[in-house]
Amino acid sequence: MASRCYEAARIMEVGNLKGGGGGLGKEVHHGHGRTAHNMSSSSLRKKSDLSLVSKVRCSPLRALLANLQEIFLGTKLFVLFPAVPLAIVANYYHFGRAWLFALSLLGLTPLAERVSFLTEQIAFYTGPTVGGLLNATCGNATELIIALFALHQGKIDVVKCSLVGSVLSNLLLVLGSSLFLGGLANLHKEQLYDRKQADVNTGLLLLGALCHILLLMFRYAVNTGEQAVDAAPTLALSRACSMIMLLAYVAYLFFQLKTHRQLFESQEEDGDDDDDVVSEDEPVIGFASALLWLVGMTAVIALLSEYVVGTIEAASDSWGISVSFISIILLPIVGNAAEHAGAIIFAFKNKLDITLGVSLGSATQISMFVVPLSVIVAWIMGIKMDLDLKLLETSSLIMAILVIAFTLQDGTSHYLKGLVPLLCYLAIGACFFVFDSQTDLNGITDQNNGIDAGGLTTTAAVTKAY
Amino acid sequence: MSYIFVSCTADNVAAMASTGYEAARRLEAGNPKGGSGSRTAHGHGHGRTAHNMSSSSLRKKSDLSLLSKVRCGLLRTILTNLQEIFLGTKLFILFPAVPLAIAANYLHFGRAWLFALSLLGLTPLAERVSFLTEQIAYYTGPTVGGLLNATCGNATELIIALFALHRGKIEVVKCSLVGSILSNLLLVLGSSLFLGGIANLHKEQSFDRKQADVNTGLLLLGALCHILLLAFDHAVSSGEQAADAAPRLWLSRACSIVMLLAYVAYLFFQLKTHRQLYESEEEQDDDNDDAVAQDEAVIGFPSALAWLLGMTAVIAILSEYVVATIEAASDSWGISVSFISIILLPIVGNAAEHAGAIIFAFKNKLDITLGVSLGSATQISMFVVPLSVIVAWIMGIKMDLDLELLETGSLIMAILITAFTLQDGTSHYLKGLVPLLCYLAIGACFFVSKSPANQIHDVNAGVLTTSTGVTVA
Repeated sequence: MASRCYEAARIMEVGNLKGGGGGLGKEVHHGHGRTAHNMSSSSLRKKSDLSLVSKVRCSPLRALLANLQEIFLGTKLFVLFPAVPLAIVANYYHFGRAWLFALSLLGLTPLAERVSFLTEQIAFYTGPTVGGLLNATCGNATELIIALFALHQGKIDVVKCSLVGSVLSNLLLVLGSSLFLGGLANLHKEQLYDRKQADVNTGLLLLGALCHILLLMFRYAVNTGEQAVDAAPTLALSRACSMIMLLAYVAYLFFQLKTHRQLFESQEEDGDDDDDVVSEDEPVIGFASALLWLVGMTAVIALLSEYVVGTIEAASDSWGISVSFISIILLPIVGNAAEHAGAIIFAFKNKLDITLGVSLGSATQISMFVVPLSVIVAWIMGIKMDLDLKLLETSSLIMAILVIAFTLQDGTSHYLKGLVPLLCYLAIGACFFVFDSQTDLNGITDQNNGIDAGGLTTTAAVTKAY
Repeated sequence: MSYIFVSCTADNVAAMASTGYEAARRLEAGNPKGGSGSRTAHGHGHGRTAHNMSSSSLRKKSDLSLLSKVRCGLLRTILTNLQEIFLGTKLFILFPAVPLAIAANYLHFGRAWLFALSLLGLTPLAERVSFLTEQIAYYTGPTVGGLLNATCGNATELIIALFALHRGKIEVVKCSLVGSILSNLLLVLGSSLFLGGIANLHKEQSFDRKQADVNTGLLLLGALCHILLLAFDHAVSSGEQAADAAPRLWLSRACSIVMLLAYVAYLFFQLKTHRQLYESEEEQDDDNDDAVAQDEAVIGFPSALAWLLGMTAVIAILSEYVVATIEAASDSWGISVSFISIILLPIVGNAAEHAGAIIFAFKNKLDITLGVSLGSATQISMFVVPLSVIVAWIMGIKMDLDLELLETGSLIMAILITAFTLQDGTSHYLKGLVPLLCYLAIGACFFVSKSPANQIHDVNAGVLTTSTGVTVA
């Protein structure tokens, strides 16, 4: 795949390549942390056409341009990149805040995809285990950063809603649409996948759901008098459950990366050398460059996330839809767009293990890592965040997990198996569309912090009990 | 999964019997049904359910060399008997707790001490009762033996429940029974699958899912009955149902009859028509001195019966102490009564089964592990709980099936998680870790929970109380 100049450019950049280079790359082949997540994002890559760049005479400039081309044009989502500077401009020129919100959301999509790409590149240098860990942690960087910013601004309900929405979106929307479209595309083929992977994920999701249910029931029990009113330990219980969930996540990582790797290795793409998907076994940019870009892009994601969190109420007022609908439905759809597209593409190719790995893996990551991490971080920051989602969110979560568990339990698929979760998501979306939670989100409507406030607020955002 | 039937070979018999032993046994045996010669033909159909085999992992082979030196034949048989009963288990170190508990009651030690000693004393007694039931099963044939095992398998929980009912502590009854189910489903099963998965990290771990399916189905039926009661309560209080429709008690009693019917059908299924699903795996190559694989009774029938009655009586005494002192222990240790009933009591009561299940998981015999844990959970849910309601009805106490919201929710989630974990017939350590962590979360939840002040209190010495124990809606 390499013209002479491309090779030259890459070798100049590469520096200390661990486990890289010619022969080694082929042997270790898909052990370089090429999880389903990575492979899914790779479906959105474009092969870099370096013919233009190779005409540039000066070689450092050529290397730089090759790098930039790889980073910015290496994805089909590059059309959305202009939204990033537009969002920053919109902030400083005080455009309508709803515009700022929309532009920031659009800008987040390609950035999330690029971060995933960069994580994969770094994984080539660090070996499979660390690469897998890195992927597991950074895989949902956008959700994590949005959650942390919302915590920082004290908008605890936005945190809870966006995380639940992300889990729902992964479980029902991404998985449902992939299975549905994949089923239609492969109408007369056998569609199989390994159910062991699905079982592990559903088990962990049920554990997470149990913790939320315990909190919810506890609050109800206090209200109906079954529990003493002075027992206000929901915070302590949430923190204990968060630690349990993090423990489960660590065990899951150990299981996935060490002892039972073979369940999670992605399928090799033997006969699919079309120019849609770039199946690379070698990194295309150097380690130092990848790291630099990763840090830079994460900073930009942080900036845009701050805009998003700061302007969510303004957008809600201006568009006439509730904050919870935006947090539960809109935010996750945009945030997951890249993974979503990748999952659908792999379902078309009848590679359902990758589709499941992406969607279920993301859902498990958010439920067992990002959510408890938010609680722990809130604890450190002194904010009273607990695991108590409200009744609608918790029941939607439970039903979503049950529907998916039943759908995936026999290891085969067809389009109706995808249509059912998809329609469930539509129903849940309709429910939150009509659900006006303004009266419950006192804390948020009272505050309406601007993005330049930046101060910690505590307790005002604690959910009012029913 | 195929079950290999290996008949009881002659060398097995020879290995277990020294001359003195044979003589002692024959003296005691009297008229055993299905006697010595034909015993070899019956193979292991002598009611050796998973439950029995699990307890057998805690047995020790009796070393009769000392005893054979005793000259007087009668004394020797008595001493053999005693040795078999008291020293035949690794839990024998806990036996001194029994007399200590009785002493503590009469010498008026701190009541928390009485509680703790009684709990400790119950553990070896429960194991011995299971052993004696197995011995009796040799004499009565497989079906009656299976029935006996099914009924007496959770004798401790049953007796504690009946005593608590008698004292009118209905919440303790409900909590201890729910706690027992949760402990069996999540703690015993989870820890066994987890430790077994780590021990057998690179082996294939499979089990027959049909057995698991039957049990989960019955557990879901039980859960449905509890949910109906809870939902009914909720509907009345939120105005959907007329407030004067107070059929909660009637509904509970009807559901209890339904549950008992299901249990009878389950017994019929397990002991008559689908035995082959439940035959335990033979321990062919496992002749280590950890597990004593016996196919013959080691004590005589009248002796076994006498010991069974005696031990049940002692269990009754200790259970009475436990039920009476539970509030005092709760005050003295600073934890809520519901935590003690839901978490502590079942952990101690199930300790012997728990150890057995883990040991069999280590040996990668997951069918036995599942048989023990799921079987116990089903027994308690479908037999002990409705039986308590019926007995309360007879005693005139208003006990219903309405567990509180937290307990019912935990129960449902536990059954769902177990059902999903077991549904594919394979296992690995993460499948055990998830239920275990669920149990931790539920335990944490009950640890921080506190009952409101209007809960019933202990009424001393056997006076019946009514209606104050009904849950406030």
